Amino acid sequence: MGVIIRRLQEDDVVENFDCQDEVLNNYLKNHAWTNQQKISIGVTYVVVDESAPRIVLGYFTLASSAVPRDSFPTKHVRGLPRYDLPLILLARLAVDYRCAGKGLGPQLLAEAFRISVAVSEQVGCRCIITDAYRDKVSWYAKYGFIPLESTSENQPTQRMFLDIRTLKATLKS
Amino acid sequence: MSATSGTKKAQRNHTRKPKFQADLAPLEDRIVRSLKEELQVSSNSDFMSDAVALFQWAVGERRRGRKIFSESTTGEKAVLVLPRLERVAPEAVLPHVILDWNEKELATLLDLTRGEPAQPTEALVRLMRG
Repeated sequence: MGVIIRRLQEDDVVENFDCQDEVLNNYLKNHAWTNQQKISIGVTYVVVDESAPRIVLGYFTLASSAVPRDSFPTKHVRGLPRYDLPLILLARLAVDYRCAGKGLGPQLLAEAFRISVAVSEQVGCRCIITDAYRDKVSWYAKYGFIPLESTSENQPTQRMFLDIRTLKATLKS
Repeated sequence: MSATSGTKKAQRNHTRKPKFQADLAPLEDRIVRSLKEELQVSSNSDFMSDAVALFQWAVGERRRGRKIFSESTTGEKAVLVLPRLERVAPEAVLPHVILDWNEKELATLLDLTRGEPAQPTEALVRLMRG
């Protein structure tokens, strides 16, 4: 199966997309295009089959963010540069359940990493952050994401961290 | 005498062209041969030079935010989408969002960013090399 990963386009077919998670389905069908083109709060990349290049089989969404320096706990800020901490948010990643087991998830993740490295070289970025569903934490950990300790363990998601330097080292090795 | 031979050696080194070698799969080899024939390019060097010029142009166009497309005689357009080109497009600059953080997350985040980066996992290495 030859696939292409590219930015979401307006005439992409998303109506039948089903990753068996209503939040992620709904985001792609109702918000991804608007968020990308109109209010600019996330860029969505989709994976399509070369033979049906309009039908979306999976997607991920990226955005940039930053942690303001003054939001860090006071006892930790000593010696910290006087700048906010820039980061990239891997906001969504989902694959249609009918394509499960074909390696699309890892391919999407690899593309998200390559884009993140490219962006980090243009505008600066320290890490990638994602809020993973708890049953997906081990999947993200396999690719180097580290869970952040949290005070709210009852949330459905776990915030995870991947150092951009780890990614760059991977590309250089 | 030694100074003269040293100068000549330096000139030789200066004019020496870098070599480029690539391993092609049989299918790619057939495609290259077919393209060379179609374009009437006899040497690999000329073929490479033209390919680089075309790629350089495409990268420049995407970097300026322009789309690259072909148009048929009936006006149908097909846009060129190549992931590597998309990465140099200015739209790759990502929009900004604000995240909520709790104190413990921030403390862990700071520890991780201050420390040495983690070694890539085997799966990550395989993923990025794939």
